[in-house]
Amino acid sequence: MQDTGKNIIIAGVGGQGILLFSNLLSKYYMKLGYELKISDVIGLGQRGGGVESHFRYSTKPVLSPFIKAGDVDYLLSFEQTETLRYLHCLKEDGIVFSSTFELSTSSVNTRLEKDMPESKTELIKRSGLKTFIIDPEEYKSTDFDISKMMNIVMLAIYAEFRGYSHEEMIQIVRESVPEKFIAGNIKAYEKGISIAREMTPNP
Amino acid sequence: MKMMNGNEAVARGAFEAGVKVASGFPGTPSTEVMDYTQQRYPDIYCEWSTNEKVGLEVAIGASFAGYRSLAVMKTVGLHVAADALGGAAGSQINGGLVLVVGDDVGRIAGDDYNDVRHYGNMFNIPVLEPSDSQEAKDLMIRAFEISEEYSTPVILKITSVICKTTSAVAIDEDYTYKVKCRKKYTVSFSKVIMTTMMMNAKGSEHPKLVKCFNDFPAHMKRLAADSNGFDINKLELKGNKIGVITAGTPYFYTKEVLPDASILKLGMVMPLPEKLIRELAAHVEKLYVIEDGHDIMEKNIKDLGIVVIGKELFPKFPEMMRFTPDIIEEKLLPDAPKRTLMEGIPFRLPVSCAGCSHLFISQILRKHKIKASADVTCGLIGCFPHMESYSLQKCMGSSIALAHGYNVATDHKEKFVGMIGDGGFWATGINGLMNLIFNDSQSTTIIVDNSCLAMTGGQHVASSEFGFNYKPENKLEIAKVCEAIGVKDIVTVDAYEFENLEKAILNAVKADTNSVVIVEKPCVTKFKLPKGDAYSIDQELCTQCRKCINIGCLAIESKKGKDGKVEIVINEDLCVGCGLCSTACKFDAIKS
Repeated sequence: MQDTGKNIIIAGVGGQGILLFSNLLSKYYMKLGYELKISDVIGLGQRGGGVESHFRYSTKPVLSPFIKAGDVDYLLSFEQTETLRYLHCLKEDGIVFSSTFELSTSSVNTRLEKDMPESKTELIKRSGLKTFIIDPEEYKSTDFDISKMMNIVMLAIYAEFRGYSHEEMIQIVRESVPEKFIAGNIKAYEKGISIAREMTPNP
Repeated sequence: MKMMNGNEAVARGAFEAGVKVASGFPGTPSTEVMDYTQQRYPDIYCEWSTNEKVGLEVAIGASFAGYRSLAVMKTVGLHVAADALGGAAGSQINGGLVLVVGDDVGRIAGDDYNDVRHYGNMFNIPVLEPSDSQEAKDLMIRAFEISEEYSTPVILKITSVICKTTSAVAIDEDYTYKVKCRKKYTVSFSKVIMTTMMMNAKGSEHPKLVKCFNDFPAHMKRLAADSNGFDINKLELKGNKIGVITAGTPYFYTKEVLPDASILKLGMVMPLPEKLIRELAAHVEKLYVIEDGHDIMEKNIKDLGIVVIGKELFPKFPEMMRFTPDIIEEKLLPDAPKRTLMEGIPFRLPVSCAGCSHLFISQILRKHKIKASADVTCGLIGCFPHMESYSLQKCMGSSIALAHGYNVATDHKEKFVGMIGDGGFWATGINGLMNLIFNDSQSTTIIVDNSCLAMTGGQHVASSEFGFNYKPENKLEIAKVCEAIGVKDIVTVDAYEFENLEKAILNAVKADTNSVVIVEKPCVTKFKLPKGDAYSIDQELCTQCRKCINIGCLAIESKKGKDGKVEIVINEDLCVGCGLCSTACKFDAIKS
């Protein structure tokens, strides 16, 4: 194995399928024989709370379940306020994949605090890191709304970026999701591949 | 090898240990220990008991019958069960008795900053703590062995990090479940009875007296001595500069940040292996204790007269929520580059699910300025400053007695209302209701019947129509029980019938008698209720008064439009069509 391992943070809000995402990804790395530790931190609140998954794979035993700030290779984020929370955790050559989806926070909604004055997308782009911004609205079509399946779309984007076998990944999806969702998930996965092939990084 | 989180691994350990009975009460982060045990290992009798104390008593009884027994709860739950644990500590143990207790380090699930190891000190019982899933499984089995060998209940401390971290566990797929009966003692009494015997009949060989003796101080002394040779306590001697005594996941943080340090990694954090600690202390220039939670090992080590550095370097709560590799690096490797979080990122206060019955109640209380206490329930979100529906909230099951106390102190002049969930009601709240009846209180109680313990993921309660041991004829009815207790005025209302609910609560508050309003609506998340048509806000009519936002519904957002103007909008993906927001709008701007 040339790749001796990476540290990934997967972030978003409750209900976005982040735990399924990390579960599918873990199966891929298991098949390749890596050692793994995945820590899922789910905040208070049934819905709409922040979700953060620390995902580490390595050829050597993984020690800490949490990734130290500055040691993150990839940030895969499904919500852009959450993206901002982890930018400082990336290595200098770390790479960010972030959806422009935003779930407003209760504190801003109720005016307990002010929202950030700048555009969050711009803040991410100007972070000095290599970033890929994905706007789910851009890919919304009448018959298919990718925002509902961003986890599978993100899986395809990440797999394409890392040069992984899509065939393997789709097989894992097939084995892991309930029968009635397989077709929709595969469609989302294929959409993810085509998005990944069009994507251009910032800067 | 199988990927398992800590909760799954503990359940597997229970199976391999041949546990016969598992009881307890749901509580994040350790709820899933029971859920996995029940789903995967049908040989084990499982029950969610009415509360933690009952759960532990069930396990103690099963243990006395000779079978390995397990009680699951979170540390806050053990506070409820502490009296039962005190009774079991130091008493004769037949089948191993293990408590799996979840400490919410870092307050990830929102608990207070508790530490279960205090019970180890207080009751003089051993505490084991795993660092990963493999150890969680192994220590579970070990805990039962220790319990039987040293005649003591054993606490397996798991943390929110252990529970939610997945790593590989070696599993024998062909393992067959074995249960054995170990009936060493014919009696098992609390320490009060035993110490009376031991003090007054010292040295007696009369069989009737000998039967009651349990020399628990000697058992614990032997355990402490033996612990120096336990393979679960590992002394890793390396460099002479830094030595660290640690346990749980902080062991891995330490190893990662300080690869050259000499480490004593404890699988049993109580009692301490004194010889190993002295050996490490003699080997290094500086000795640190790195432990999550309170400074318990640190104090116990200092009591041995050994110099260690702990909380003076690593101040505990509220300075630190939990250990991270970053904190160790910052303090012990000060030259490492520092990373700081971007400023001004808005925080997420917890919000109720769209369509939750609690939102209806919170809205009515706020609208009519009714003073009320909240319980430990999803409805406690109504205490947060974005909702302000409740002015008093304490522990699980408390709200009824809190309201009663307020009412007797104010001579019932302003009726303070107690709101409680069905879980809290059955757990201990029912005692508050019985209490206010026979003490002639005129309090009003709102019981939210959502058919499950929603907050921990929808476990069953006594009035649910499902459950591990469910039979329709055994289902308890909240209204019938309230009637039997002697509540004068009982009304049951559907939460979504807003006007009826409003009327019922106002009538109950006005009446000069005690009353209960039962608000029915199954939990929207657990039971996946069918969605109605989404509501939307007519921007022409909306004055941005924000009355709808203050409901605290996840689906209502304040958003900047493309032109930069702020609009109040309803997220149609999240809206379930309950219509509560339309009742709050004075301008008829919210329509289906």
